[in-house]
Amino acid sequence: MMDLKQIMKNYFLDLDAAAKNPNRKIAWCTSVGPAEILRAMGFEVFFPENHGALLGATRTCMDTLIKAHTYGYSPDICSYLTSDIGAYLKNFTPLTKAYGISSVPRPDILVYCTNQCKDVMHWFEFYAKEFNVPIFGIHPPHHLPEVRDNHIDDTVEQFQQLIGVLEKITGQPLSEIKLAQTVALSKQATDLWSNVLKTAKNKPSPLSFFDASIFMAPIVVLRGTEIARDYYRFLLKEMNDRVNNGVAAVEGEEKRVYWEGMPIWGRLKSLSELFKKNRACVVASTYCNSWIFPEFDPNHPLPSLAESYLRIFINRNDTFKEKYITKIVKEFDIDGVIFHDSKTCPNNANSQYNMPNHLKENGIPSVTINGDLCDLRCFSEEQSATVIEAFLETLS
Amino acid sequence: MTDTFEKKYYWGIDCGSSEIKVIVCDEQKNILLKRKTRTLFPLIEHVKKVLCSDETSGLNPFQQKSGELKKNHKIVSTGYGRSHIKFAHDQITEIKAHFLGAEQVTGEKNDYTVIDIGGQDAKIIIVQHGKVDHFVINRKCAAGTGAYIEELAHRLELSLKDLPDIAKRHDKKLILNSYCTVFAGQEVIKILMNGERVENLIQALYASVVQRVLEMASIATEKILFSGGVMNYHPVLLELFQEKLKDKKMVIVPEAQYSGALGAALHGMEKGPSEKIYSPR
Repeated sequence: MMDLKQIMKNYFLDLDAAAKNPNRKIAWCTSVGPAEILRAMGFEVFFPENHGALLGATRTCMDTLIKAHTYGYSPDICSYLTSDIGAYLKNFTPLTKAYGISSVPRPDILVYCTNQCKDVMHWFEFYAKEFNVPIFGIHPPHHLPEVRDNHIDDTVEQFQQLIGVLEKITGQPLSEIKLAQTVALSKQATDLWSNVLKTAKNKPSPLSFFDASIFMAPIVVLRGTEIARDYYRFLLKEMNDRVNNGVAAVEGEEKRVYWEGMPIWGRLKSLSELFKKNRACVVASTYCNSWIFPEFDPNHPLPSLAESYLRIFINRNDTFKEKYITKIVKEFDIDGVIFHDSKTCPNNANSQYNMPNHLKENGIPSVTINGDLCDLRCFSEEQSATVIEAFLETLS
Repeated sequence: MTDTFEKKYYWGIDCGSSEIKVIVCDEQKNILLKRKTRTLFPLIEHVKKVLCSDETSGLNPFQQKSGELKKNHKIVSTGYGRSHIKFAHDQITEIKAHFLGAEQVTGEKNDYTVIDIGGQDAKIIIVQHGKVDHFVINRKCAAGTGAYIEELAHRLELSLKDLPDIAKRHDKKLILNSYCTVFAGQEVIKILMNGERVENLIQALYASVVQRVLEMASIATEKILFSGGVMNYHPVLLELFQEKLKDKKMVIVPEAQYSGALGAALHGMEKGPSEKIYSPR
């Protein structure tokens, strides 16, 4: 039995302990950045985006966002960033109420990767100034139709520069064996996570996107550890048991949906209830699939990390994205796609360049709702409920 | 008319944010009564009063003594308040409701588009092969809805019912650009300060509503059916739509403001009778 709440509690408490121990080092990393390199070099890793998601899920971001806006950040930019920076400015973290932790752990280095967006660069630059700590940015090629060797080589070279910086901080060289072991653990975890998500191909599905948004925490923040691997082993067994016993995420599942875009963190429960009420299960999503990295290879750690982080959905062109969604719709026998056009995350708002019509040409119906990952002022619950329910009605 | 317990009655309640519309049909889809009232609170008590009032010609879906729903009455709710009417047998969204209502009243079977301009939102519903193919609802802002017209009329201290006649006397075409009602209000003030006639301004207001609706989606069907109360009260809008879309045939569905309630009642017929016990507190 593995308790996700306990796992996350232990993770944050350990980070807090590390922050108070001068012999331990902490790195802040972006969610699809090379956490494996950092772990292999002995850093404990904290992910500000995860903190942003916590602020969103607890709805405490509605205070912290405003602090960041009045400080000078636009309300139109990434609300993970503004929620988190606002929380810092207010000397607040939801980790205090949850775990008794007074503040997020101070970093020894900040490492971001712009494979997902450029907002992370601005975000980490703020903290570099605040904490007066080193910052290292990886700027890989982006919006790729295909991933080529020169893209991988470029990214590996940046990884090697990062390693040089990390070695100066730790005073120790990178252990190739340790890196391979870490990548091996990441691979095991991501393969298991992929298999967990694939259990949703069953009818009825044992899990929904709203469940997976919670289950995904370890693959984001504990990737490269035994804990993440062990948790997904346990979770996969649990999902398979649910399938064998006919336990459904949505009782009486009649419709199957794909969620394209960010979660609306502060409304996970109400949205989950809305879909249940309408006997619709969100069986797949771009977001949860984004931590499936089939290319991880412990025999070729740096190139495989580079390739994996280049291949992420958000870093691809529209042709790739449309083909990917079409493939998943077919594999999971999905009836329709819901695009979440998140106000402050245009990089994850894929309805904006006519993709819905392109999918329609492939026989895939879709609808778009307006909202945001954290800023609930951008989300009209009533109007969105009407749009979602009306869309589900058309799928009948 | 009194309730004969052999007959079945199908109620549609369109619970909007500003008005509640109620329709009752018989099994032959004849409309037996229709009623409209402001949306007041507490909602359930108010809706019950609307259903049970003497004005409903003796039809009452609740049993007198127990307050439970009569078995020969079926209630379906729609509109923003649909999920709050807990005693309803079923609920559907306004999209489906307006489609069913428009289809029934017009008998239209070919591909067509329903445009519903309501008090708080505007919807474009594209119907193909006899069912809703896709739809669009206006984004966050109120421009293109009844709220836009109401707000600006209020700012100009004009009565809503006078607006169509005022607009007819325009002699110039102005443009209101904003899709935010508040910013449009600022545009209005600027236009008036520049000495423009209020008649031209009201015409521009109507033109703006039409423009905001047409910006929502491209309309490929030959025929457009308009539902919702706003078109009924402001027939100038139909003329303006016709100017913009000269190649389309356009009709305001009869009893446009009841279209949603009718659609809800008809949905109740599709689903057949179902049990629901409601015991009022």
